[in-house]
Amino acid sequence: MAGKNDLGSTNNWKAPKKMGISDLARREERLAFRLLLPALLIILLIAFYPLAQVFYTSFTDRVFASGEETNFIGFENYRQLLSVHVMELEPVLDEATGQQLVDPDSGEKVFERPLDVLPREPNRYRELNQFDLLGKRYVIGATDPNFIEAVQNTLVFTAISVFIELILGLAIALVVNSKFKFRGAMRAAMLVPWAVITVVSARMWEWMLAPSRIGMFNALFDRLGLIDSPIAFLASGGYQLSALIAVDVWKTTPFMALLILAGLQIMPEDIFEAAEIDGAGKIRQFFMITLPLLKPAIAVALIFRTLDALRVFDIFQVMLGQSTYSMASYNYFQLIGNRNMGLASAIGVIIFILIFVFAVSYIRMLGVDEE
Amino acid sequence: MKKEIGIFSLIKRIAFNLMIIFILVYLLFPFYWAVNSSLKTESQLFMTPATAVPRDPVTLEFSPTLQNYAAVFQDGQFLRGLANSTIVATSTTTLALVAGSFAAFALGKLRFRGRKPALYLILAMTMFPQVTVLTGLYAVITALGLSARISMIFSYMIFTLPFTTWVLTAFFKELPDALMESAQVDGATPFQTFRRILLPLTAPALVTTGLLAFIAAWNEYLFALTFTSIDPAARTVPVAIAYFTGAVARQEPFGEIMAAASLVTIPLVVLVLVFQRRIVAGLTAGAVKG
Repeated sequence: MAGKNDLGSTNNWKAPKKMGISDLARREERLAFRLLLPALLIILLIAFYPLAQVFYTSFTDRVFASGEETNFIGFENYRQLLSVHVMELEPVLDEATGQQLVDPDSGEKVFERPLDVLPREPNRYRELNQFDLLGKRYVIGATDPNFIEAVQNTLVFTAISVFIELILGLAIALVVNSKFKFRGAMRAAMLVPWAVITVVSARMWEWMLAPSRIGMFNALFDRLGLIDSPIAFLASGGYQLSALIAVDVWKTTPFMALLILAGLQIMPEDIFEAAEIDGAGKIRQFFMITLPLLKPAIAVALIFRTLDALRVFDIFQVMLGQSTYSMASYNYFQLIGNRNMGLASAIGVIIFILIFVFAVSYIRMLGVDEE
Repeated sequence: MKKEIGIFSLIKRIAFNLMIIFILVYLLFPFYWAVNSSLKTESQLFMTPATAVPRDPVTLEFSPTLQNYAAVFQDGQFLRGLANSTIVATSTTTLALVAGSFAAFALGKLRFRGRKPALYLILAMTMFPQVTVLTGLYAVITALGLSARISMIFSYMIFTLPFTTWVLTAFFKELPDALMESAQVDGATPFQTFRRILLPLTAPALVTTGLLAFIAAWNEYLFALTFTSIDPAARTVPVAIAYFTGAVARQEPFGEIMAAASLVTIPLVVLVLVFQRRIVAGLTAGAVKG
């Protein structure tokens, strides 16, 4: 405070004091480096080589667990993963009438086949999706539609599940923060979902969501008369993503709630007393005091939840198998299934970049790295 | 007037209790279903419709079985796994809390050049999916000749250390600077201030991050599976469960998996019960919020 002014000042009579402060600053700096040393050593020992290797490998065609020669191929893996192309599909005309053909079975207008339109060189594009715009039909092609879909799935999964977890976590933290009889037991019970082994929890939910009345949900819905025939929750399309979001929200809301609870606990009591005296209602207190003070706790909770959600692996792998991928489960498939280590590393780097962008924007948005 | 307030607070109490019951059911029901499944035999598991308690397939009478639990304990893997998991998760948490709180004190309360890069560097180590770093990590561990247990403890730093550091940094920053200044005026060195004053005040954050990191390490599967492949004696619980073979050939022993999963959740619940009191320490110790 006073130190900043002194450092900026050029007045001679302040010189002795200035010396003292910069000396103090230097001591503070040295202490900071010594305190950071253990963490930095651990990073150097355990993370530096693996991460550097991922970056390097992403530019090669290395094959996993083989003696095959590895070649440097530049950005080829990234091009393979990220190339997207939009093309217009021309209507197919009836030669006799000059009108667009209509499929007699489905009653839909016939367009060119995407396969004929999409480029094949240097990499072959496959259809990702079609859409209509201003009366014209377009096709989106990608050289790796599975990956683009995995990115979409993961982003949707992350946005929805982290949002619900934040709201639920905040609500639960506020409830558990107030005083009542079995608060201690409640806090222990609250952590049970987070404590169940992740891989096992995925299997457990798979069992509960089974597509027949063996599963808890179908048995329950049937008993309540809500359904005529069992729902295949985890079959392609339909409920897949919603089911996974429900499982993830159940599993990780405790994480959010506990971090927010800790934030609530270190809040100074007197602010609330002052607000009470000033006549601020509970709701006003929540929005004007609690929420702003909770910002740092919410920010770290959000960062780590988003980071985990973007890397979601277990539940996609166990519950959906190979039918629908998340980015990380596609990564696993490319590495273990296809042994394409170069491509898998490139996926890792893309996930890294995405997470980095998210983390930086959270930190900026919530202003947590301000001095 | 007085009566009105009484009714109002009664309604509030009932609503509050209903909310607690709702939250508890939501959080605990799936776990109940795991316990329920663990008390069923193979044929009871496949009954349609599924039953909320284990019932005899013919008479529909309540008939739980402990055979899955017996099988879990007969499997020596499981008890050894418990011991391994305890060692690995405890060491991981201790190391992550010590290194993390040191770093967090520097990052949250001291002024020095390179603060932001250091924060991002620490976070960056956990931004890759586990699968991607697995091969590189394996190479490092082989080169250093680390044992399976030590390998797990160090590799778990990848996801626990950034977490403890970031959470604790946020909490240190919240503590008023006046605390440090007054301690310094009293002649305490910055490190003494950290250990004697700041650290006890962030006890809620320490306990919270410790518990969350402990559970994360306890449940980790992919690294454990890879690093114990050459040393089966070091397998942790999740890996041991994955290796359950079951009585019926080539059929997954679902009941046993659920029994083991229910069993390993109990020590964690006890751990939380023991430590949760500490969550209410810190600045607001003894105080009660409305």
